[in-house]
Amino acid sequence: MILSLLSVVFGAAFTVVTAWALGALLLRRLSLEFYAWEERLIAFITGSACLSFLVFLLCSVKLARKGVFLALGIAIIAYAFYSGAHHSEARAFPPLSPTWSWVFGIIFLGFALFYLTNAMAPEMSPDGLEYHLGVVAKYRAAHGFTTITTNLHDNLSQGIEMLFLFAFEFGRHSSAALVHFAFWIALALLMQSYGARIGRPAAGAAGALFTALSPLVALDGSVAYIDVAEAAVVFTLFYLLQAWDENKNARLLVPIGILAGFAYAVKYTAGLAVVYAAGFVVWKLWRDRKPALRPALAVCALAAASILPWMIKDWIEVDNPISPFANRVFPNPYVHISQEENWRRFLRTYELTSYSELPLQLTIRGNHVTGFFGPLFLLTPLALLALRSSAGRRLLLAAAIFALPYFGNVGARFLIPVVPFVSLALALVLAEVPWLLLALIGAHAIASMPPVYTKYAVSDGNWILRKVSPKAALRIIPESTYLSRESSEYNVDRMIENLVPPGGRVFSFYAPAESYTTRQIQVSYMAADNEVLADILWTPLFGDYPPTRLLKFQFPERQFRKLRVIQTENVPDQQWAVSELRVFDGGQELPRSSEWSLTASPNPWDVQLAFDNSPATRWRSWQEARPGMYLEVDFGRDRKADSVVVESSGDTTKTKIKLDGLSPDGHWSTISDHPSEIAQHIRVSLRLAASHELKARGVRYLLIDDNDIRAEDFRVYSNLWGIMQVGQFRNKRLYYIQ
Amino acid sequence: MRTVAAILMFALCACDRAPESYPVPEQRRPVEGANPVAGNMLIDMESADAARHIVKDVYENGGSSWRWTSGEPTLKVLVFTTLNVKLTADFSLWDEAFKQTGPLELTFLVNGKTLDHVRYTSPGAKHFEKPVPPDWLPTDVESTIEVKVDKLYVAPQDGAKFGIILSRIGFIQ
Repeated sequence: MILSLLSVVFGAAFTVVTAWALGALLLRRLSLEFYAWEERLIAFITGSACLSFLVFLLCSVKLARKGVFLALGIAIIAYAFYSGAHHSEARAFPPLSPTWSWVFGIIFLGFALFYLTNAMAPEMSPDGLEYHLGVVAKYRAAHGFTTITTNLHDNLSQGIEMLFLFAFEFGRHSSAALVHFAFWIALALLMQSYGARIGRPAAGAAGALFTALSPLVALDGSVAYIDVAEAAVVFTLFYLLQAWDENKNARLLVPIGILAGFAYAVKYTAGLAVVYAAGFVVWKLWRDRKPALRPALAVCALAAASILPWMIKDWIEVDNPISPFANRVFPNPYVHISQEENWRRFLRTYELTSYSELPLQLTIRGNHVTGFFGPLFLLTPLALLALRSSAGRRLLLAAAIFALPYFGNVGARFLIPVVPFVSLALALVLAEVPWLLLALIGAHAIASMPPVYTKYAVSDGNWILRKVSPKAALRIIPESTYLSRESSEYNVDRMIENLVPPGGRVFSFYAPAESYTTRQIQVSYMAADNEVLADILWTPLFGDYPPTRLLKFQFPERQFRKLRVIQTENVPDQQWAVSELRVFDGGQELPRSSEWSLTASPNPWDVQLAFDNSPATRWRSWQEARPGMYLEVDFGRDRKADSVVVESSGDTTKTKIKLDGLSPDGHWSTISDHPSEIAQHIRVSLRLAASHELKARGVRYLLIDDNDIRAEDFRVYSNLWGIMQVGQFRNKRLYYIQ
Repeated sequence: MRTVAAILMFALCACDRAPESYPVPEQRRPVEGANPVAGNMLIDMESADAARHIVKDVYENGGSSWRWTSGEPTLKVLVFTTLNVKLTADFSLWDEAFKQTGPLELTFLVNGKTLDHVRYTSPGAKHFEKPVPPDWLPTDVESTIEVKVDKLYVAPQDGAKFGIILSRIGFIQ
C-alpha cells in the first residue's frame, strides 16, 4: 500500500522536479530575471517543454526505459543543484493584502486538496484511459515510439503525453494525472503572479480562482488529460511576451519560441501560439521602428524545433505530417477522408441543435459539450469592459486568438486555454468594485463544488466529478480493488487481458479503455483499417451492403492490355464501392493471375478487396463519389475478353460507371458506358464469410456492447457467425472467432 | 541536435511508401450452397431455442416434440442465403379436431407475401414444401413465416381454440 502510494507520488514529483530543473537551468543560462514565483513557475513550464523534447528523443531511439529516465532525471536535478539553479535571487512581488491572501489561500488550498485527492485516485477518466494514457502504455511496452496505425488519436502531437510517459514508468496512471495537476497549480499561481506584475494583485488572485475553481478546469486538471497543461503553456507564453514587451530582452525570445512550439506539441489547436508569438514580436518591434524579421524568425525556428519532430514522426509513420487531419492533401491508407470529415462534422456541433445553446451549455448545463465552466462565466460579456485598459486589451486579444479553433470542436474543453484570459479580463473589470469581486469569488466557489453543481448541471452525457475516494487516493483501498468496483472499463480491460492471448487483436465498435490492457484493440471508427473491418462485419447486417447488384458490360470479343472501370457521376451523398470486378471471355471468368496488377483511385490501398472473391469485402472510395474515380486491372499482357461484371451494392445506386480499355496498340477507348443491371442473390453465409475475413486478417476477438447497432445478431446467431462468447462483463461481450 | 536531425532524416529516407499497384490477392473460397449450419434455418418445435423464434399463436409444448398453434402461427427465422431456398413445414391435423372443422385451408406467407394456399381434406401428418422467390428474402434481418388457418377447432371443455399441430417449420435449401 505504502509502496504503491510512494511510487505514485515519486513518479509525479520526479517528473515535475526534473522539468523544473531543466527550466531553471535554461533560465539561468539565459540570465533572465523574473520575480520569485514567476521564475519557479516559468521554469517548470519551460522545462516541461524541454523534458518533453528529451523524452521524444529517447522514444525515437527506443530508450524510453525506467532506468534511463531515472538516470536522466537525477543527472538534470543534480546538475541544477550543482550549478545553483535552485537558488533564486529574484525579487518577491509586493505581498497581497491580508484579505486577499486569506481569500485566495483558503479557497485555493481547499480546492487544491480536494482535486489533489482526485488526481491521486486511480485514474478513470474516459479520454485518459482511452488514449492519453493508452498511447503512453503502448510506448512504455515498446520502450519508445511504435508505429500505430489503428488509432487516429495516437497520431496527434503528444507533448504532454511524453511527460506522462516519464511519470508513468514510476507510478503508472495516477502519476501522470498528478503531473497534469501540477500544471493546474502552476496555471493558477501564474495568473495570480501576472496580476501582481501588472499592479493588479487582487484581479490576479480573483482571475486565478475564477479559472482554477471552474468545474471543468479543475476536473480536467486533476486527471490525465492535457487541456489544462495546454492552457498553462499558452498563458506562460502570453506572460513571457508581456515581459519581453517591457524591455525587449532578446534572450526572452528563447523560452517564447520554445513554448510557442511546445503549444503545438501539446495540442494541434494551440499551434496558433506560433502565429501569435511571431505576430506579437513583429508588431511590437515594427511599432518601435526596430528590425523585426530576425527576432520573429528566431521565435519560429525555436518553435519549429518542437513542432517538426511531431510532423516528421507522423510523416514517417502514417504518411501525413498533421494526421489525422488534411487527408485530402496527404492521402494515406490510415485515415479515410470520409472518416475525417464525419469526425470533424460531429466535432463542429456535438449534440447541439443550435449554437445559441452554447452560453448555457458552457456555463451551467454541460451535457451537450461534455463539461461546463460554472455560472460565473455568464458574466463573460462584462469582460469586454476590460478593453478600456491596455492590460485588458492584451488579455482579450489573446482570448480571441486562442478561441479561433473553438468552432472546429465545440467541446467545452477546447475553451480551457481561453478561460485564463477571460477570467483575468473579467477580474480586472470587477476589481473596480472590490466587494462585488469578493462576493463573486464566494459564489463561484460554492457553485463549483461538486455537491452543488450536480444540483444544477445536467447529469446525463456530462463530464462531472461524481465521486472522490480519499481511501483510494491513499491506496488504503488497493488500486485494483477500487477500479474493479468503480470502473466498468477497467473490468473490460481485465477481461480482455485474461482471455485474449498476448499479441491478440480485438475488434470493437465502441472505444474501450486501452490503458489497462496490453492487447491491441481496433475501434471501428478510429482508423481506416478498422473501418474496413466494420464494413466487413456490417455487410451481412445491412441490406444495402452485400453485392446484390451485378453491372455487366457485354461487348464483342477484343484484346486488351488493361481494363478500367470509371465512375462518372458526382454523388455527394454516396460513396462508390465495388465488391468484385470480374472479367469474362466466352462465358468463362478469366482466372485471376499473378501477372495481373491492380490499382484504384482514390484509395489504391484497398483495391485487392475488389479482387479477392469474398462477398464480405469491397473496395470503397471512402469519400463522396466523384467523376474520374476508377479501378484498373493490368493483365500484364494482351488478353481477350468479351464482358466485365462489376459486383456492387445497394448503397451505390446513384453512381454510374463506364468501361475503358487499353488496346494492344496502346490506345485507351471507352468500351461501354451502359452496363446492364442484374440482381444477384446471396449464395453463401455472409456472416461466416465476414468472420472468416477478420480471422484471416489476424483479428480473432470481437468486443461487442449490447448497445452497439445490431449487437443482438452476434449474440443470437453466434453459430452463423462462427463465433463463441468467451467472456462478458455487464453488457460487454467478448467473442472468439472460431 | 545535428545527430537527432540526422537520425530523423535517415528515418525519413527509409520510409517505405505504399506502391500504387497491387498483385491479385489470395482468393477467398466462401462455402456455397451446402452451408454447414444450414439446419439453423429450420425451427424444430422440440428444440430448446424454438421459443425465441415464435412471434405469436404457437403454444408451449409442455415437453413434447410438437406444439399446438392458434389461428395465425407466426415465426421469425434468419436466412443466410436467398438462392434455392424453400419454405418447409411438418405438421399434423388432429382427427378429432378435423371432425369438427372439416377440410382446412392453410395459407403460407413469407414476409407478408402469400406463397401458397393449400386445402387439406384429410387429417394426419402433412408436409409442405415450396421454393421461395429470392427477392422475398433478406439476409440481414429475420424473415417472418406465417401460416393462416381458416377454421379453428374449439375445445368443448373450455372453449380454447386450436389450429394445427406443428412439428417443424422453416427454410431449407
